[in-house]
Amino acid sequence: MKISFFIIQYYMQTIGILLARSTYYQTIGFDLYEGLRSGLNHLGKSDIRIISENIGFGADKQQCYRSAERLLLEENASVVIAYIGHRMAQLLRPLFLAANKMLIVLDAGANLPHEWPTCPNIFYHSLHNSLGASLAAKKAINDGYKSAGMVTGYYDGGYLHTYSIAKGFEENGGEIFFNHATGYKSEDFTIEPLKNHLEQFPDCALLSLFSGDFVQWYFEGIQKSFKEQNLPIYLPPFGFEEMMLADTEYPGDNIKGIAAWSKKIKSNENKIFIDAITSTGRTPNLFSLLSWESAEIAIKILDLIQEKNTTAQIASELHSFTFKSPRGKIYFDQKTNTSISPLYNAVLISNDEGKCEIKIESTANNVSEHFEKLINQDLNNSTSAWYNSYACI
Amino acid sequence: METQKKILVLCGGKFAFKALQLLAYEKFICAIGIGKGNYTTIDALERESEENNFGFKSFPDNKSISEMRNWIDTIQPDYIFCISFPFLLTESILSYGQNKFINFHPGPLPQYRGPMPIFEVLKNQENETAICAHFMNTKFDEGNIIFNDPITIETGDTYGKLSVKLSEHMAQVALNMANMLQFANNIPNEPQDETQSYYYEKPDLSDTYINWKRMTAEEIISLINACNPWNNGADATLLGEQIKIISAYLLNEPHENQPGTIVSFTHTLNIACEDNKQIAIEILKTDYGIITASQYMTLNPVMTGILN
Repeated sequence: MKISFFIIQYYMQTIGILLARSTYYQTIGFDLYEGLRSGLNHLGKSDIRIISENIGFGADKQQCYRSAERLLLEENASVVIAYIGHRMAQLLRPLFLAANKMLIVLDAGANLPHEWPTCPNIFYHSLHNSLGASLAAKKAINDGYKSAGMVTGYYDGGYLHTYSIAKGFEENGGEIFFNHATGYKSEDFTIEPLKNHLEQFPDCALLSLFSGDFVQWYFEGIQKSFKEQNLPIYLPPFGFEEMMLADTEYPGDNIKGIAAWSKKIKSNENKIFIDAITSTGRTPNLFSLLSWESAEIAIKILDLIQEKNTTAQIASELHSFTFKSPRGKIYFDQKTNTSISPLYNAVLISNDEGKCEIKIESTANNVSEHFEKLINQDLNNSTSAWYNSYACI
Repeated sequence: METQKKILVLCGGKFAFKALQLLAYEKFICAIGIGKGNYTTIDALERESEENNFGFKSFPDNKSISEMRNWIDTIQPDYIFCISFPFLLTESILSYGQNKFINFHPGPLPQYRGPMPIFEVLKNQENETAICAHFMNTKFDEGNIIFNDPITIETGDTYGKLSVKLSEHMAQVALNMANMLQFANNIPNEPQDETQSYYYEKPDLSDTYINWKRMTAEEIISLINACNPWNNGADATLLGEQIKIISAYLLNEPHENQPGTIVSFTHTLNIACEDNKQIAIEILKTDYGIITASQYMTLNPVMTGILN
């Protein structure tokens, strides 16, 4: 009996998932897991075994490596999905090359790699925070702002979306007049210096990079210190994370930017996703979305493995693979093995209780052209020291 | 956190510099050995090693390899990396420890064994090459493969351009390997598939010579790129003279001439190929030195007469 159990387990297809944790997105691990599980169920693949491993904040090299190693070499996972950054993916690259297995990186897109990856064993499924940041900056220019200040925190400021938002503003004719990076503990978090900055440079747009609790703290600060001034604030996708916004006081009109996804996107795929996640008792968010979508990619890879394709052939097939997701059509950029998805022009509105909601205005134009530009831009020796999976501290 | 692994790197010169820099920055290097190498390179490495407190030893010839085992025993590294080290390591050296020696071969294995895989992949018109990390045994390039890390070959890549690209990529691959050794419980590796294997000897004149009657225009361009700069270009005979073609591009124009004859001269010297295409020569090496196509024309007035 025991032997047959092990035989069945061995022949069952296995997907491994590396789960990160976060002190302010406390459900992130559950969201990632549930997104994948529900996504597989939706695709009629509930028989696939999911094995998870904890990787903490995604910053401990040994923990990440050993977790991935266990999934591949002990659990015989055919595909591994991981919410990690490019640097950690680079660390895992030789393991996946040596084991001849596929890694799907769930990427927040907050960092910019110095060398865009080309490894056939690794595909990046992205929320494109840096790309969104660049487009949000361009939006500020289109709205007539020629001067801006960049506002971020100690944590968010460590990712290269800072470079992307500043470059996006400057390349389109704007000038950054000040930067404000606040602390990452609640007692150190302050936006008071903005008063002085805005007195000196009154017509500045605020190009703002925050995630999780920091978005709440930022908007609270704006409401408290700049009440009814309707400061022009521009946000990238993680500034529009709806689960966090639902508990955030509405700080004022004139807040806009680029969203990766919203519950308000009207499509059959989005409705199915929202219903599926809600039925499990969870709130759909960017993390469950990302892993829900990764189920499609993982199934495609498993099918290609079963057809005895080599890794190079699998990579080549994925380059022409497209699917409809809750946020629209997704496909892979061939040069970087990175998924391209629609991005949305969004504004912040108030709900009946005075909390924040997103209003989707339209689909952003020319996303793939902007991505091409992003991958070709010189980082001018800007570097990030953060290994953490984004929003995981 | 486990103790940082100590790695001794055996290299052949400049090609390994970026890998040495990155491995040193990440504090993996404990010693550097160089095989052959010119005085400038040896001096630079010795100076850097002294400043960083690394062990250092030069191995100028095959005979000096007999001193290697004692040196390794003194250093006591956890692993030994070989990056373009020119000499075969003997059994007595390798007996320092099983799976302790890792070679980084600048070409895909087992298909491209041999000393100059960069030349061979370009000559064979591959779209992709690789850096192969493999455990070492007493034969060149034959140990178990850990991984082949691929890299794209762009149109127009020469031996020089691809070498620079591989040298830069080598740094990250060597660091990835070091991290793997640092964190892994087990290094997956596979014996080489002998049915796929091929050993390319160091190229000689028969490999670098353009055979106008048998080679297509694209094959000729690939050979020219594969010979630039290490061989000062691809060897050829033109107007009865032995020359080397350093730089040329494909001219997709038909002609009615014999392969290997001059069809026309614009700012390039356009030569007929057997597949009814032409190659446009930009730079070549003759007895006069390295010259442009225009200079070649000036030096060969008889030919100008023929063309006029």
